[in-house]
Amino acid sequence: MKNEYFEDDSVEVCSSESRRDFLKKVSAIGAGAVALEFLEFDEAFAEVPEYVSNPADAVPITLNINGAEKSVQIDTRSSLLDTLRERLDLTGSKKGCDHGQCGACTVIIDGKRQLSCLTLAIMCDGKKITTIEGLGTEEKLHPMQKAFVDHDGFQCGYCTPGQICSAVALLNEAKNGDASRVTENLSVKAANLKLSDDEIRERMSGNICRCGAYPNIVAAIKEVQGK
Amino acid sequence: MINIDAKSHVRGESVYLDDIPLLEGTLFACVYDSQVAHGKLKSVDISEAKQCAGVVKIILAKDLKGENQIGGILPDEPLLADEEVHFCGMPIAIVVAETDEQARHAVKKIKAEIETLEIITDERIAFEKGSLIAPPKKFVMGDTEKAFKDCEHIFEGQTYSNGQEHLYIETQGAYTIPSEQGGIKVYSSTQGPTAVQKAISKVTGLPWHQIEVDVTRLGGGFGGKEDQANAWACICAVATQLTKKPVKYSLHRMEDMRMTGKRHPYSADYKIGLDKDLKIIAYEAVFYQNAGASCDLSLPVLERTLFHCTNSYFIPNVMATAYSCKTHLPPNTAFRGFGGPQGMFVIESAIAHAAEKLGVDKAEIQQKNLLQNDDEFPYGQKVVSEAEQSWHQADHKFDFNRLKSEAEEFNSSSKYFKKGVSLMPICFGISFTNTRMNQARSLVHVYLDGSVAVSTGAVEMGQGVNTKILQVAADIFSLSQERVKVHTTNTLRIANTSPTAASAGADLNGHATRIACEKILERIKKVASEVLEVNSEEISLRDGMVFIGNSPTEMTWVKLLEKCYEKRISLSEHGHYAPPGINFDWSTAKGHPFAYHVFGTAIIGVTVDCLRGTYEIDYVKACHDFGKTMNTAVDLGQIEGGIVQGIGWMTMEEVFYDGQGRLRSNALSTYKIPDVYSVPKEIDILPLETSRENLAIMNSKAVGEPPLMYGIGAYFAIREAVKAFNQNNFLQFDAPFTAEKVLMNLYKNQSN
Repeated sequence: MKNEYFEDDSVEVCSSESRRDFLKKVSAIGAGAVALEFLEFDEAFAEVPEYVSNPADAVPITLNINGAEKSVQIDTRSSLLDTLRERLDLTGSKKGCDHGQCGACTVIIDGKRQLSCLTLAIMCDGKKITTIEGLGTEEKLHPMQKAFVDHDGFQCGYCTPGQICSAVALLNEAKNGDASRVTENLSVKAANLKLSDDEIRERMSGNICRCGAYPNIVAAIKEVQGK
Repeated sequence: MINIDAKSHVRGESVYLDDIPLLEGTLFACVYDSQVAHGKLKSVDISEAKQCAGVVKIILAKDLKGENQIGGILPDEPLLADEEVHFCGMPIAIVVAETDEQARHAVKKIKAEIETLEIITDERIAFEKGSLIAPPKKFVMGDTEKAFKDCEHIFEGQTYSNGQEHLYIETQGAYTIPSEQGGIKVYSSTQGPTAVQKAISKVTGLPWHQIEVDVTRLGGGFGGKEDQANAWACICAVATQLTKKPVKYSLHRMEDMRMTGKRHPYSADYKIGLDKDLKIIAYEAVFYQNAGASCDLSLPVLERTLFHCTNSYFIPNVMATAYSCKTHLPPNTAFRGFGGPQGMFVIESAIAHAAEKLGVDKAEIQQKNLLQNDDEFPYGQKVVSEAEQSWHQADHKFDFNRLKSEAEEFNSSSKYFKKGVSLMPICFGISFTNTRMNQARSLVHVYLDGSVAVSTGAVEMGQGVNTKILQVAADIFSLSQERVKVHTTNTLRIANTSPTAASAGADLNGHATRIACEKILERIKKVASEVLEVNSEEISLRDGMVFIGNSPTEMTWVKLLEKCYEKRISLSEHGHYAPPGINFDWSTAKGHPFAYHVFGTAIIGVTVDCLRGTYEIDYVKACHDFGKTMNTAVDLGQIEGGIVQGIGWMTMEEVFYDGQGRLRSNALSTYKIPDVYSVPKEIDILPLETSRENLAIMNSKAVGEPPLMYGIGAYFAIREAVKAFNQNNFLQFDAPFTAEKVLMNLYKNQSN
């Protein structure tokens, strides 16, 4: 019973080397079910121990967060969001829904925006993670942070870290010429895309702001993208 | 002035409830809630849950040391179900465990035996069965019965407006810490710290002074944390009382949606009578409010529906009756507008009905009936009206006729896309209608290093109230923003607070701060006049320097404070403010309940895709009555956000309970709120030009709730577009106008 899709070694999560580590870690605590999507059944259950006394500290991982290596022992089922917030005191990323529906937990992993609530921390071993705390400094804000301040791109502030992380990664997408649903010409991959309001809206539609600061958020992103 | 939280917000450093660093040994609570909307609670089996790893305690109603009661207005809401359950999501048991995961795991092992009783989810059925929260409320002006006899045109109908999930992105929660002598420190995500204190006092039996409630800020409130924050704070407090440990509970989104009440759905009957000149002569409305299973804030919400049942219009003969109907849904509660929007939707529907049947433009009837200065509301207050001014200034700037004819032109040449345009005037009363709640206090300390600390009863939830309060203090002392700090809202510093609600937070707490600062300033100036040997009237402070007339002196702000200290003059003050001249008497249902009204007129344009039923909001252009805004960025943000939330309520947000009272729209996947795409493509806000004085802080009128009601215009604009496609159909007044409903109405009674 094979999952064909993930047999492809080019899939980042299960690339041949890290896949072995991954297996070892998963099986160590018996959380095989989590990994079933990625694994063959027999393989996943082969090394499952009968009982683990403290799954919360079962597996050591090292995360590269905001330029620093952070080692932490985690339950393999821990989401990246919970690991950041509960284990590493990085509470800037917010839990709005824990289901990948609101965007408040958005972080940047290897330059791409990811929902940290839908990302297992163990999948990020060895990857470069940037959270809101890693953008800019106290003295010098990241241009996107500054633009959010200048354009009043928030009210209650709860969705703001996610909005900003999403917006920062969006700049990379534009730089790479990644297409979106509203990109007009899909046949040409044009680097350094100039994003229209529509493009910004489409690309930011995964980040919900209940206060409705959207017009200002779009204006902030537009300003930074235009620079 | 820039929002004082701006920098911490964008750096992710703003502290919300879930971000407070936890003390060693903190336990976690989780609630086991009813799966049945109405039933007899025969037994609760916690034996298996008790055995789960990490479980420290499981608390049932019988374990409470105080009273099992958290009802704020009526004592009809148990914290934990005891003999009966009244709604799906009603807390039955509290599991307290060493970790959040363990608590949540153990909850799943609890079993309750519930004998189901009759379940009522519909307000009209509840009404028929006599299931009411309280006797009805009624407003009467003139004599409608007599007036209807003189009317040229009379129209009757029904309306329905659905509820609305608050969906503050920060869910509800609390964190309680035991303090000395049996007290409890409470961090709560609440709009009403005193309400939390009072509720905890009841369920724990502790006096108020043993309970300290502290609120840093909220990740959105919108009314949803006015009364509904109490339960979670009580749950943690009870757990802390029984375990002597810190206890935290931060709700999961689906728990929050399932267990908390929402905006009240309303069903209503209306009867409107007009004379031959389209003047509205008589209006009758009967409102059926779906209160849910207990009172919560339903009664004041119901009252505000009556207060706003005629919106911006003068109608000489009005009879409005409102019933708060008890059903088996979670107790519905405050939501931006607080019943006002529901009342205004009905009068707008009645006017639309009349206009459609008479074949005139709805705007013509609206305009002919706008409130004039000194017109009387059904509740007896005479209006200081900006209704006509806002209408005319909006028309002058945006040109209603041009926008309408553009839409007509578009429609004549477009088969499957239709545009609709609608005007929406608003009039919203500012003050708590319960007069005694209109008071606030502010504690101001001036420190010897020249910095200033301000504490008030206002809760910051994104509306910028603390920015405005800081502005007041900085302005009076003529200091830069950095030298003033507005601290957390805390019941030890400010007692007996009113909730931050009714759009009144900045007015009440801002004035209290002004009073406190002015008193300190007066004392400081007196010292300066003694030291500098001039009259105190000649003294002024400018940017940290003392001036005599227009000339600076050698005396700095800090030096002056030292002099005050030397002379043993107090540099602290506790300011108290109660707006003058407001009153209301329910025995006659007349009075002067509002300090002032906020007016405005919006024009909303939409485009409907007539093959799919989907629509886009092309623009919202409004002339809004700010008074004289003290912070343009904050106020514009409130208006834009209010419009978006109002449009959400009227268009895409559909709360859905099944016949068993189970919430089916229980996550963001099934309950859609406006995303960046659903925002009007253009929002253009023109400030009303007026020189009138008002009771608002620095003449800057309250701005939290009023703009939400511009969103009602979106409903009627979509209606216009649907009518442009399908003339054969007289649409029901049934909000929200979801894309599904639009599609069905586009083709209803269509011959082809």
